[in-house]
Amino acid sequence: MPIRINTDIKGKEYPPYSVTVERGRIKDFARAIGDLSPFYLDDRVGAASEFGDIIAPPTFAITFRDEHADTNTMLKDLGVDISRILHGEQEFGLHRPILAGETLLCRPKITDVYEKSGRSGPMAFVVRETSVTDAKNELVATMRGVTVVRL
Amino acid sequence: MKYAKVYAEDVDVGQELPVLVKGPIQQIQLTRYAGASGDFNPIHQDDEFAKAAGMGGVFGHGMLTMGFVAQCVTDWAGAGSVRKLGVRFQGLVRLKDVITCKGRVLAKSSKDGTHLVDVELSAENQKGEKVVTGRATVALSSRES
Repeated sequence: MPIRINTDIKGKEYPPYSVTVERGRIKDFARAIGDLSPFYLDDRVGAASEFGDIIAPPTFAITFRDEHADTNTMLKDLGVDISRILHGEQEFGLHRPILAGETLLCRPKITDVYEKSGRSGPMAFVVRETSVTDAKNELVATMRGVTVVRL
Repeated sequence: MKYAKVYAEDVDVGQELPVLVKGPIQQIQLTRYAGASGDFNPIHQDDEFAKAAGMGGVFGHGMLTMGFVAQCVTDWAGAGSVRKLGVRFQGLVRLKDVITCKGRVLAKSSKDGTHLVDVELSAENQKGEKVVTGRATVALSSRES
């Protein structure tokens, strides 16, 4: 029997949360990928660069989460166990690189929830979009992730 | 030169990006990526858990493979050049897999002094199975400015 999920969360906006881009986190993230670009790892190269500091790799914004919220709030809202989810799609729009030390504001929203039958049985697709703005309230990045739930 | 600067004038439609080969994927890299990214889903760490979940064993974070694909783009176009990056996760990456990332220039455009290049991207395992497909847009400088 396929499980049922709570599709009512379509349209739900989560409380905005701020994140500070930690220099060490950028370096750990780049090293975990095995990307040893000095623009991510070397403070002196960063300071001398056109960006003025080390920057984050393109996918770094995936690390942004609300430290004050329960972990996996979205899964709790959906009523889904973590063992059932897969990452279906991910997209980043970057208006400029993300810099070490800056504080950013993230606004996540569930923009779509739909069910479909695939090769491997019934699935649900949950689309979450997050906008990321800087201290001047300018848009720095947008993220769109599709979580697949095996029902 | 790995971090040589690429200018818009140097790029032609159809041109292929230098191939980036990553792996073999080891458990320690998945553990390290979990710590760095904050994604501690045990399905990427605990073989028993992954088997019980019906996934046949541990597999890599899709976001790690996306990181490889992003590196393939920035090794070529330069760090900080990516304006858009989107992927679809097509297959699971398993321990010991060797992942080859490829890219090809789809289009070039210039508007208001900004030079944008669209590339199509893929990552495949050692059997030639696609694990990620996607597209990116990068902003490049011109030799004239």
